[in-house]
Amino acid sequence: MAEQSLALREQFATPEQQRESATLGMWIFIVTEAMLFGATFAAFAGYHHWYPAAFNRGSSEMELTMGAVNTAVLICSSFTMSLAEYFAARGKPRFVWFLVLTALIGMLFLGIKFTEYYMHYKDHKLPGFGFQDSSPQSRQVQLFFFLYFVMTGLHSVHLLIGIVLVLLMLIPALIYIDENYSTPIHNISLYWHFVDVIWVFLYAIFYLPGAHLK
Amino acid sequence: MRVAETSLRSIVITWLGLLALTLTSSLIGLLNLGSMNIVIAVVIASVQAFLILGFLMHALYGQALVRVVIVGGIIWFLILMTLTSTDYLTRGWLLPSGK
Repeated sequence: MAEQSLALREQFATPEQQRESATLGMWIFIVTEAMLFGATFAAFAGYHHWYPAAFNRGSSEMELTMGAVNTAVLICSSFTMSLAEYFAARGKPRFVWFLVLTALIGMLFLGIKFTEYYMHYKDHKLPGFGFQDSSPQSRQVQLFFFLYFVMTGLHSVHLLIGIVLVLLMLIPALIYIDENYSTPIHNISLYWHFVDVIWVFLYAIFYLPGAHLK
Repeated sequence: MRVAETSLRSIVITWLGLLALTLTSSLIGLLNLGSMNIVIAVVIASVQAFLILGFLMHALYGQALVRVVIVGGIIWFLILMTLTSTDYLTRGWLLPSGK
């Protein structure tokens, strides 16, 4: 009975209508999130247009290998998230393990990311805290690093929220998620993939433009 | 009630495709292509985003209304970027004469 009420609440005519309403709401939320990140990407585009050489120099200070590995790590977490969604929609209990795996891979990403932050800190690349750069455009390079920390930091916060959501989902996953009702897994999966999309662009604009200068 | 979703085969192919594109963009990043470096990187990232949105987020075959929301969001984002650019790209054009 409890499953019935979750799969079809009284305000909906059919389970399909209920699921589509939830999905549509999630997409509208994702678009607002895209606007939030979009503002930071607009700032990056503007300053990159003004100071291309300084931004390329800043980019050359990135740890390309760690960035590439982290991109692959996050893509793998999207893969396991999709598998969790796939098996949850079919009522296969193994989806729980894929949720756990997704959260663990997400933690691995954050671990690598914060290791990178620490390396930048040791390298005096933290804006406002003894930032040092030997180039004549050190202030513009500092601006690059400011955007880097803000944008990747905002992304990391979103990923952390995603990890918490995935872990919180383990409880309902064990109680009432089955082939009749897996909408929460579907929507968290949408969020997780969106965070992946943001990272793909962050990797492209921060790590790759100056990689050849190393 | 199943959610309209990608087949297992498509999920695996998309995953491998995304990894291959990451390797490709990383290797191209090592070449000195001048200002094209960031352009190529963003183009490859856009292809990756299309794969994630289309297959992993089911945008290609899910509800039509979701596609309307996505396209509307992209158009609105481009409007905001364009209007912002009109400021950043034209600063200095309107300086008083003699300065």
